[in-house]
Amino acid sequence: MSWDHLQLNPQIISAVQRAQLKSVREVLCVSGPDLQKMTGLSRSDVRELLHAAATASRTHQPVTALQLQRGECHRLESGLRLGTGCPVLDQLLRGGLPVGGVTELSGESGAGKTQLGLQLCLSVQYPVEHRGLSSGALYICTEDPFPIKRLQQLISEQSVLRSDVPRSLISGLQFSDHIYIEHTADLDSLQVCLLRRAPILLARGLVRLIVIDSVAALFSQEFTTPILCINQVTDVFNQSANSLSSSSSSVCPALGLAWANQVMVRLMMRRLQGKVFLGDQSSALRRLEVVFAPHLARNSRDIGVWREGLRAVLDPD
Amino acid sequence: MRRPVSSLSLSSSLKVKLVRAGFQTTTDLQNLDPETLSAEASISQQEALEALQAARAGEGAASVTALELLQKEEEFRSIVTFSSQLDDALGGGIPVGKVSEICGAPGVGKTQLCLQLAVDVQVPQCFGGLGGQVIFVDTEGSFQLQRVTDLAGAAVRHCSLLAEDEEQRVAMTTFSVETILSNIFLVRCHDYVELLAELHLLPDFLRGKPKLRLLVIDSVAFPFLRLHDDLSQRTRLLQGLGLQLIATATGHNIAVVITNHMSTRLGGGQSQLVPALGDIWGHAASIRLLLRWEESRRLASIVKSPGHMDATVQYQITCEGFRDADQSEQLQRKRPRIQNNQ
Repeated sequence: MSWDHLQLNPQIISAVQRAQLKSVREVLCVSGPDLQKMTGLSRSDVRELLHAAATASRTHQPVTALQLQRGECHRLESGLRLGTGCPVLDQLLRGGLPVGGVTELSGESGAGKTQLGLQLCLSVQYPVEHRGLSSGALYICTEDPFPIKRLQQLISEQSVLRSDVPRSLISGLQFSDHIYIEHTADLDSLQVCLLRRAPILLARGLVRLIVIDSVAALFSQEFTTPILCINQVTDVFNQSANSLSSSSSSVCPALGLAWANQVMVRLMMRRLQGKVFLGDQSSALRRLEVVFAPHLARNSRDIGVWREGLRAVLDPD
Repeated sequence: MRRPVSSLSLSSSLKVKLVRAGFQTTTDLQNLDPETLSAEASISQQEALEALQAARAGEGAASVTALELLQKEEEFRSIVTFSSQLDDALGGGIPVGKVSEICGAPGVGKTQLCLQLAVDVQVPQCFGGLGGQVIFVDTEGSFQLQRVTDLAGAAVRHCSLLAEDEEQRVAMTTFSVETILSNIFLVRCHDYVELLAELHLLPDFLRGKPKLRLLVIDSVAFPFLRLHDDLSQRTRLLQGLGLQLIATATGHNIAVVITNHMSTRLGGGQSQLVPALGDIWGHAASIRLLLRWEESRRLASIVKSPGHMDATVQYQITCEGFRDADQSEQLQRKRPRIQNNQ
């Protein structure tokens, strides 16, 4: 590391070199008093050093929220959301999945979580004006094999689900070409996939959605892309001691508090009693619930799982 | 004021030489000229000059009486939370000049309260606010523009309904959603090194912004919890960070609000939910607010404050922001027990 371009007085630079500090990051990772001990510099010199190191390592100046609103800072606020393909669900989510945060979807088996994951792999491929992101999806399976037949059925029925999109546009999209499927059986291969393969796909602009079905992995990477983590649930044994959430349900998302702290949007999918009918189809009734999100109210919508995909069911009144 | 030589901000080798030569406190260095000092302590003229300057820098720092401090404190307003019960329990709101910590489980409302404060600090002074700016340091990506816009709109509507006299009506012309957004400075930090770097650069940023009254860090926990291979380094960094935040709050007269996660502490066959980052970090903030769920109610407890009694109030989060609950009971407990999971 060439310390000369930091514009510090030569005394400080030689002290830093003698202390064998090799980068600005290293300097910033040491506390003030420890730096004083290591370099023998005075407190004010250490302050100058830290200031210069901080200036060199800072990549962006603060921006105002008004600049975000005006679209002047796409890095922080692209104003984009990934639609689900059902306008009622999009309204529940105020546009769709946020870009750049982890959305967790939990629920018991059979609730419909994978269905939503598949549906999102298709909706991401539509252009932005149809609430897509004009790109593909990376679908990581950790347990069950990828439900390829269901995907094909969803693809063939897209024009039924997306009556808002011109047919010519739909038939022009080669959906299966843009869904990258990975099977990872354990945490290590999941990490490899996320840390190596995913960034390549992202850098090439080939995917703008990552679905992980259904093991939650703790990852510290920063993706400016929606990430949907499908999670399982465990039973809650002691209701009154469950001060972590307000729902009085008997299940809660698996993996605990450390995971929950990393999630930005928590959704829950539940199977309810009763059936709903649409045309010649019938479906078990389900509910998609917003458990928490920084920009959404706690709310839910009833949905059905149909041939063409997931669609909200509106109350008859 | 007499101070020991070891406390001066000089290089340690210089201090050792001075002490060895018999100069223990700053009074020993008084009225000396650089030549004499350099001869007696066997240091260079340059070093002698530095030492004398450092000794002199300490003098002239006048002491302040407690009455003057009280008067100063009463001038500094607090930032309202828009939940009148919580504001009352806090004696007005989140205090300026101090560090306040908000802890709670995910989804309970920590970010919501931070966003609310970022809007409330801007309420014009004729409405009882501070008319100040805010810098929001986001380490989790939870700053949602949509939500801030909601809260800003609600605050503007609230104040327009209250505007009675001419001064307030004039103030409303510059209190709009756009101006509110323009007074929120946002920084995104992806790891603890970026966070530390931003805080080193904060004094420069504050120098050009005399109206800045609030610093929010949401959250301090997230970047530091990833640093688990060297816990002693983490503790030292957090200690330094805590001191820096206190110095920023008092030195620049701003309110510092930080959020913290909860983690599980195991012991004696029981598990307990406690604020993350350890006990030493617990000393950084003067005020600690704990947000939690009790069935479907949201409760806010003041669990640490030198100036307030521990209290618990119920709040809610509406589409307009952080507010009083519709039907709440003011609960007064000595210290709310953190849940025990058997």
